[in-house]
Amino acid sequence: MSVLMSLFSRKERRLREAGWGWTLFAGIISLIYFFPVLWIIMTAFKTRADALATPPVFFFTPTLDNFVAVFYRVAQTGSGEAIGTGMGGFFFNSIFVASAGVFLALIIGTLASYGFSRYPLKGNDTYLFVVLTTRMLPPIIVIIPIFLMFRMAGLSGSYIGVILLYAAFNLPFSIWMMKSFFDELSPDVEDSARMDGSSEFGVFFKMCIPQLKAGLAATAVFAVILTWNEFLFALLLTSTDTRTVPVAMARTIGGEIGVEWGLLAAIITLFLIPVFGVTYLLQNHLLRGVTFGTIKK
Amino acid sequence: MSVLSVAGLKKSFGDIVALDGVDLAVDKGEFFALLGPSASGKTTTLRTICGIERPDQGQVMYEGQDVTHAEVRGRDIAMVFQTFALYPHLSIFDNLAYPLRQNGVSRDEVNRRVGETAEMLRLTHTLDRKPGTASGGEQQRIAIGRALVRRPGLLLLDEPLTNLDAKLRNDTRAEFKRLHRELGMTIVFATPDELEALSMGQRIGLLTDGKIVQTGTPDELYTKPKNAYVASMVGSPRVNLINATRRGADAAPSVETPFMSAEKGPWADALKAFPMGSDLYFGFRPNDIQPIGDGQTPGGPSFTARVHLTEPLGDIVILDLEAGGAELKMVLPEEQAVRYSVGDDVPVFVRVENTHVFARDTGTAIR
Repeated sequence: MSVLMSLFSRKERRLREAGWGWTLFAGIISLIYFFPVLWIIMTAFKTRADALATPPVFFFTPTLDNFVAVFYRVAQTGSGEAIGTGMGGFFFNSIFVASAGVFLALIIGTLASYGFSRYPLKGNDTYLFVVLTTRMLPPIIVIIPIFLMFRMAGLSGSYIGVILLYAAFNLPFSIWMMKSFFDELSPDVEDSARMDGSSEFGVFFKMCIPQLKAGLAATAVFAVILTWNEFLFALLLTSTDTRTVPVAMARTIGGEIGVEWGLLAAIITLFLIPVFGVTYLLQNHLLRGVTFGTIKK
Repeated sequence: MSVLSVAGLKKSFGDIVALDGVDLAVDKGEFFALLGPSASGKTTTLRTICGIERPDQGQVMYEGQDVTHAEVRGRDIAMVFQTFALYPHLSIFDNLAYPLRQNGVSRDEVNRRVGETAEMLRLTHTLDRKPGTASGGEQQRIAIGRALVRRPGLLLLDEPLTNLDAKLRNDTRAEFKRLHRELGMTIVFATPDELEALSMGQRIGLLTDGKIVQTGTPDELYTKPKNAYVASMVGSPRVNLINATRRGADAAPSVETPFMSAEKGPWADALKAFPMGSDLYFGFRPNDIQPIGDGQTPGGPSFTARVHLTEPLGDIVILDLEAGGAELKMVLPEEQAVRYSVGDDVPVFVRVENTHVFARDTGTAIR
């Protein structure tokens, strides 16, 4: 009996909280993964000398010069006045293009996956596979045809062009992910709602969508990260007006005085904030979204 | 006057035939049980009645109107799903209020009726919570409440007790009967459990392989089964069915098994039409077989059987007997059963007036 009791309490403790050993282990692993990010953030606050110091310095006097330099630089003409770098605009572009692209992909993807899940067509799996194949080619292979198509359609360099491209880019992923979430939902709940007087619109918006908040959040976060970091298409398909941060960042590399690590690190640090913010806001949903279906309700 | 009638309902899913011509008629205010083993088409029948599923063939008449192809939401029918199908993102109050709100009931009326329903089902203390936090019994009462709150003309229950534990199941059975009596509602409920069907249903439709085999009161199904299948589905423990042959005189037929011979049963007249030596089943319920007391004259065919297992169930005991290579079950009150132990030879008799005879090839009852 006492053996049984101790077994139980041990099991319960294991479910509730980890021991200090595991906590330490998890801490070390987290630190290893987080270290590069930490190093970038530290570099952003370093002077040029500190950033390039060998051996690397961990303790230094922080400076905000790099962050100022992200937005303003000293004119080369000798008058010494501050000129805007346009980075603020590029940040706006990144945020605008990514949110619009992801938003569009989520709307279309959610509707499509509802159809795929609830009203399967003959050869449903084939269609789903076809959807997936669009993501099987590395972007570098399709970049030239897409570039030419965009040129001909006059979409090159416009917001609408990049947004459409990012939406299309995220769509297969959204459809697949959302379909798996829809498949997890009990169709009985929807039938029950129909019987209680819901229209088909009501079933979708009042029954399915509220249940899938977590799934939508998870899909959104993954899509945002994918889009946010995208470089190749943005490089070729944006103009000076619509340029996104990754492209702008690349342009800072290769100045006359070598790579300005401090500046680059400052841009990256700022660039991380929105992703961090989105993930932080959606963290509870995200965890539920990732574990959706793995725990039987 | 039947409020619901279903005729020739057929439905296939791909190659699987779910319904193969279901006919049903349910009277107003009736508690009708749809009894059948799993995959017999119970759920599909209910889903077709409420309109979620469209039949390939056949007709559903509800309150004198053909609703076979009517929209789900227009029908005045509610259903409780086997899975309960509660709305997980809504509070229990909102779950109960949902059908009312969808049908444009005013806010005051919603509050009043949800309150009323919650009280009737003892859910008042749970209303602010989400269904996920409710216990199994509460979840089931929420599902029932949600179906009852808009006072549908017809309530369908799909295996309402299957997901409950044994104790709760017994309580809920009584609860259903009480609700039915208080609300006077027409209820059709599907169940794989004959005990539920017998104890709750005023009439039972026995469904197998997508067809109704027999419809009748529990008593009719129990005492006058249409065939050997119905006899074996209804009644617990199962009816004893023994291979037998028609013997006796032309005008006084008897049924002969390897260890006994029976005559003058309720089947005697009908059996005259069967040729000598026809293959039959001889059937009798486990409580129609009795030990012969000292000095008692047996009230039917008698034989000696050996006890080879006893299953005590509290006040009654099931004795597994063996006679002439056949296995039989006998149910005795506990105080009578203590006299017998495994290995004993017991002289027994069968109450011939309660026996059944079935043709072995078709299973049809001879009566």
